[in-house]
Order: sequence, then C-alpha cells, then structure tokens
Amino acid sequence: MRKLIIFVLACICAVLLYFTTVSAEKAFRSEWKLPRAPARQQAEYRLVLITQELETPFWDRVGDSAKREAAKAGAGLEVWGSYGNDPEEFLKKLEIAIDAKVDGIIVQGLDSDAFKELTKYKAAFFGIPVITVANDVPMGDSLRKTYVGSNQYLAGRMIAGQLLEDMGPSGTVLLLGDSGNAFYQRQRLSGIRDALGAYPGIRTEYEETRNTREQVIAATQDLMNRFPDAEAFVAVNASLAGAMVQEIGRRARVEPYDIYTFDDSPDALSLFQDGKLDGMIEQSPEAMGRLGVDLLLDWLKGDQIPLDSGGYYTDIRIRKADEAP
Amino acid sequence: MNSIQKKIWSLAGIVLFIMVAIWMTLTYYNRQTLEQYNGILQRYLRLNEVTNASQQTVAELNNYLLLPNSNRLGQLESGRERLRRAKIDILDLRNGENDFALTNYANLIDSLLEATDRSLMFQSEKETEDSSLAFTEATRISKYISDMTLTLLDTDLKTYDRFYRGIIEKSTALTQLGVWLLLTITFLLLIFTYLFSLSITRPVRKLTQAAKELSRGRFDLRVEVASNDEISFLAKMFERMRININNLIQEIQQKAQLEKELQQSKLLLQESRLRSLQSQIHPHFLFNTLDTLSKKAYLEGAEETSDLLASVAGLLRYNLRRLDRAVSLSEEVGVLRQYVEIQKARFSDRLQFRAEIDESCLHVRIPGLTLQPIVENAVIHAVEPKEEGGVIVFRIEGGPDRVTIEIADDGPGIPAERIERMLEGGDAGPEGHSTGIGFGNVVQRLRLFYGMDDVIGIVSENGKGTKVVLTIPRTGSAE
Repeated sequence: MRKLIIFVLACICAVLLYFTTVSAEKAFRSEWKLPRAPARQQAEYRLVLITQELETPFWDRVGDSAKREAAKAGAGLEVWGSYGNDPEEFLKKLEIAIDAKVDGIIVQGLDSDAFKELTKYKAAFFGIPVITVANDVPMGDSLRKTYVGSNQYLAGRMIAGQLLEDMGPSGTVLLLGDSGNAFYQRQRLSGIRDALGAYPGIRTEYEETRNTREQVIAATQDLMNRFPDAEAFVAVNASLAGAMVQEIGRRARVEPYDIYTFDDSPDALSLFQDGKLDGMIEQSPEAMGRLGVDLLLDWLKGDQIPLDSGGYYTDIRIRKADEAP
Repeated sequence: MNSIQKKIWSLAGIVLFIMVAIWMTLTYYNRQTLEQYNGILQRYLRLNEVTNASQQTVAELNNYLLLPNSNRLGQLESGRERLRRAKIDILDLRNGENDFALTNYANLIDSLLEATDRSLMFQSEKETEDSSLAFTEATRISKYISDMTLTLLDTDLKTYDRFYRGIIEKSTALTQLGVWLLLTITFLLLIFTYLFSLSITRPVRKLTQAAKELSRGRFDLRVEVASNDEISFLAKMFERMRININNLIQEIQQKAQLEKELQQSKLLLQESRLRSLQSQIHPHFLFNTLDTLSKKAYLEGAEETSDLLASVAGLLRYNLRRLDRAVSLSEEVGVLRQYVEIQKARFSDRLQFRAEIDESCLHVRIPGLTLQPIVENAVIHAVEPKEEGGVIVFRIEGGPDRVTIEIADDGPGIPAERIERMLEGGDAGPEGHSTGIGFGNVVQRLRLFYGMDDVIGIVSENGKGTKVVLTIPRTGSAE
C-alpha cells in the first residue's frame, strides 16, 4: 500500500515537473531580439523610379531590371508611382521624391505643365538629376538629363511600314490618340505621318480622345461612322487599344481590319495574344531599366558628364500577328 | 541553534528561496517584456511625434505669416526645434526594411524646415507672394510627412508582425507556466511539509509511548528514538532516568532484604539466649556436680569416666559462653574434639573420626559453635543409623586468601532438594541436638558473619556420603 502511494506520488510529481519544464521552455526559449536587421551599409545612392502605371507587365519589367542593376551597383532603388492613370498621385510621388532629396530620379515622362514645373524648377533647385524613361519630355521643357527608351518617331515609322506592307499603298487609316497629346505620342504620330505621307493613296485621319473607356468607345464609333471604309486602325497611345478593339469588335468582325498599337499598356499584350492585333511595337523594358540606372549612376559618379541629351535608344521591333504563338 | 528550529528555518528558507527565485525571474521577464513594449510604443510615438511636430510647425508658420510678431516667431521656432529633435529621434528607428523610406522621411523633414525658412525669408523681404508659395509647399510637405508616417507605421507593422505574435504567444505560455508552477510547487510543498512534520511528530509519539510505559511502572523497556534533534536528546535523558530509577529500586530492594536478614539474626540470637538462659538455671550446680563427679570417678580409678565428664563440662561451659562472639578456629577445633570424645564414649568403635588440620590456619576467626553442630549432624545422620558405624573426616586446608574446612561422612547422603532447603535456612528444628543449635542456624550465622552467600556448600551423593565445605576468608570478618 505504502509503495503504491509512493509510486503514485512520484508519478504525479514527474508529470507536473514535465509540464512545468515544457511550458517554461516555451515561455523563455523564443528569441527576444527584435527582428532588427543588421545595420546595413547605407546605400551610397538612393534612386527612385517613378511610373504612372504600377504593376503592369511592361513597367514591372522596367522596375525589376532597374532594381537588379541598382543592387548590382550597390545603390538603393525604389519603384514608386500611381496605379492606373492618376497624374495627381504620380506628381505627388515625384514631388515627394524631390523633397526627400533622393540622389536621382528615373521617371516616366508626363507631358504636363505640372510635371515640367517639378522637374524644371524644383528638381533643378535641389540639384537632383532626372532621367526620363520610356516616355520622353523634351529637355527644354523638363531639364531632364537624358532619355532612355524607344525612339518613338522610329516606332511610328515602323508601324507605318508594317501597315503599308499589310494594307498596300492605298486606303484609309484611322489614328486614335490621347487628348493629353504627350510628347511621345506626337513623335509616334509624326513618325507614322512622315512614313505614310509619301503614299498619296493613303489617307490618315487622326482623332484625339480623353482616356476613359466611354470616351474612347465614343471616339471610335464616331470615326467608324465617319469613315466606314477605313481599313486600318492605329492606337497611337497603347492604353486606348483595349477599348478601341472592343468597340470595333462590337460593330463588325475584327479580322478584316488592320489594327496596330504599341506594347506599353496592360491590354496590348493580351489583345495581341488573342490575335486581335495585327502588329505591335515591342520595346525593351529591361534595357530601359538597366540603362536608366547605369546612366544615372554614371552621371552621379561623374563618369559621364554630360549625358547625351538626345537620349539613349533601346531596341524596338515589330511583332506581327502571324508571329504570335 | 538547535535542531528543530534549524529544520523549520531550513524549510522556510527553501520556500522563501523558491518564491524569491520565481518572483525575480518573473519580474525580470516582465521588465523585459515591458521594455519591448516600450520600444514598440516608442517607435510609434516617435513617428507620430514627427507628424504632430510638422503640423504644429506649419500651423505656427501660418499664424506667423498672418500676424508676424516676436511671440509667434518664438512659437514657430519652438515648433521647428521640436521637429528637429523628432528627426534625430527617428533616425534610431532605422532597420533593414525601412532604411530607404526613413532616409526619405528625414529628408522630407529637412525640406519642410527649408521651406519654412524660405517662407520666413521671403516674408522678411516683403515678398508676400513667394512667401505664401513657400508656405503652400511647406503645407504640402507636411501632408507628405503625414502620409509617409502612415506608410512607415504600416511597414513597421509588417516587419514586426512575427515579433508581436511571438509576444502574444509568450504571454499565453507564461500564463500556462504560472499554473503549472503553482501546481508543482503546491504539490512538492505538501509532500515536504508532510515529511517534515512527520520527522518531528514521530519521535514525539515514540517518546510519549515510552513515557506512558514508564508511568505504568515498566522500567525495563528501552527508550529508543531514531532522530537527530532535541527529541532524541530528551529520549536519551529519559533513558538515563529510567536506568537510574531501575537501579534505585534494586538498591531499595537489596536494603530491604538486608534489613530482613538483620531482623532474622537478631531473632536467632534472642532465641539462643533464651535457651541458654533456660539452661543456666543451675549452671554452677551443674558444673560443680560434673566436676565433683569427674573427680570422684578419678579417685575411684575410673579415669575414662572422669575425662568424659570433664569434656561434657567443658562443652557445656563453651556452649553457654561463646555463642554470640567470634572465636578462633583453634578454640572451635578444641570444642569439636571434646564433643568427639563424648560421642566416641557413646559409639566406641562405630565412630571413627579423622582430623587433618593445617595448623597455620587456626588463628582464623569464626563464629562460635559452628563446627560442632555440623559434625553432630553428621553423627546423627551418618553414624547413628548404621550398625557398622561410620567415618567422619574433618579437614582444614589453607589457601592463599581463603581457608577451606571440610566435614565429610560416608553416610547415605542427602537428597538435593533437602540440601537446597538446608542452605536456605528453611530446614529448622534442633531435633536432638545437644547444644540446641540446628544446621540452619549455623548457615545463617555464617552468612551474616562473613557477609557472603557462598561461605557454605554441601556436596552429597546418594549412598556415598555427604561433604560440607566451609570456605571462609583468611582475614576473618569485619569484626
């Protein structure tokens, strides 16, 4: 009896001790350190890439390659920007970047007075170098150091060339552009017009519209009503392409029309893969990001002063519908 | 310090130690947690402080621009100073995640300060438009700062998310630990207290038991307590007391025995005196008559009869005189010889008496009339009943410190139980003794005289005679 009692007591004791030890271990073991990352050597240069269209395939590629390049060079780089077409937010980011005194700004050019005001006066006032990427704003307006991206005029010409090839030397071409009439859009347009100007059989009609879905649809309808014999459409501003193609598709079959655009909008690639586009200008976003960072760092380090104010052009090529996978 | 107290102190000490240890651990732990919380709060408060300071600065700037005076300028300055301090503070918050943002943040604060500077400068140069432009910019920057504060807070929340969860988990674990610890300590303490109290009460119970036995008068049970404290000391004292009481009781018993024996000897003496008085009725007449008879017999030529009568007279005189005094062994031997003479006259050849006497021992003191009754006993029991008579051997041998006196006969012997009775003095009765003194009387007197029990012994074998052995000390008695 006595042995049994002692045994039971010992068991209880062991169980209690076990649980106490386990809970004590749980309570005291876990690391107390705040997850304070080792004080990294602060990056020598803080760069910001600002775009109007965050998280679109095109800009993601630009941003990723820029980040890789910056990391390689030991510089800090963050991608800021606005979602969708939100110039106000975009400009705010730009102003913050300037006020935050970053060492360099790579920005998607916005052809607006506010943008020019910021780059020309404020950035210059703080001595912050600005490089435009993908979309340019002329140096005289923005005091940008240089431009990295596609040669938009050449891109226009290439579209026109493709168009001629597909359509032949006569017909009506409808051009749809954004009413913001940005610098790059003007360049594309002049490229197209210059190329087509040599062919008297080709008639071009240009229409500008505000960049909202309803407006684009209305403009497209209007154009198609006025020029029912049109054979080709070019969305000079790629962001209009989606709504435009949709409207064309609503009115008639899309296939007979030759439709062209550029690849710097979220819609363009999916439209192209669906076979609704006949041709698309493919740019080199990776090269833009990489080159932009390289040039900016070169300038900051004084390796290359001044930068070529004319701009550094990245590769463009045309993708035709029959190339589509 | 003594032992029970030590035990109590050590138990209390252990309990105290455990409690203090737990208390200190928990306090330390709590403090750590608190510091963590403080650190976290500090981060938030500092970020918030930047927002507040920037807003205050802008508000003060606005006030000043509306109505410039030194008082408001002072307030603006204090606002700007607050902002500067806040900026220095937030630089501590830097970590891997918010490095970039924090630098921007600090620079934004600088920009705000610069913008206010510009605004003040333009104000002082009366360029109101530029001044208000700068103010607008300051306002915008202040707004950006607020926004960025939120962004930083958000980043912080994301960065420290795992850490916060860890804290919550740990506090849950701590509660659990508290419960388990309480249970364990309670359990152990109960057991230890039980064992501890047992170690005190068990000896006490034993001691109580022993005391009960003692009070009932049982002094022969040992008091044993296995313990190492005062109780064992008490038990030892108790045991010693028990032994002392035991000894005292034995002593008292012995004394009572002695008393009894003294009383007995007194009675015996009185009895002897009485008898001697009885026989002293006509002592001189008897002596004179015996003397006359002896002389007459001598004159008539009966010399043998004359000697016999002289012996009887001597024996009688000795008997009357020397009973309560010690005499020398030689006197005793003389009386014995006279007695044997008388008996020889009676038994003639049937009685053979042989004496082997070590002369060097004859000075030893011995109570009067001790040998004669023994020899008479031998004559009565060994010689008288037998037709062919018997031999009595009387031997005195000297030892280094003892003298051995042997009286041996060749009679039929005495049964063992009777010997026992005789030695205990129970076999009284002077049946036919000439001096009126029996064997029992002799035994008791010898023992009283020498103060020892083994002074007399009887060796007897059925049909082969009896031997009475007296062993007396050479130095005599205490007399």
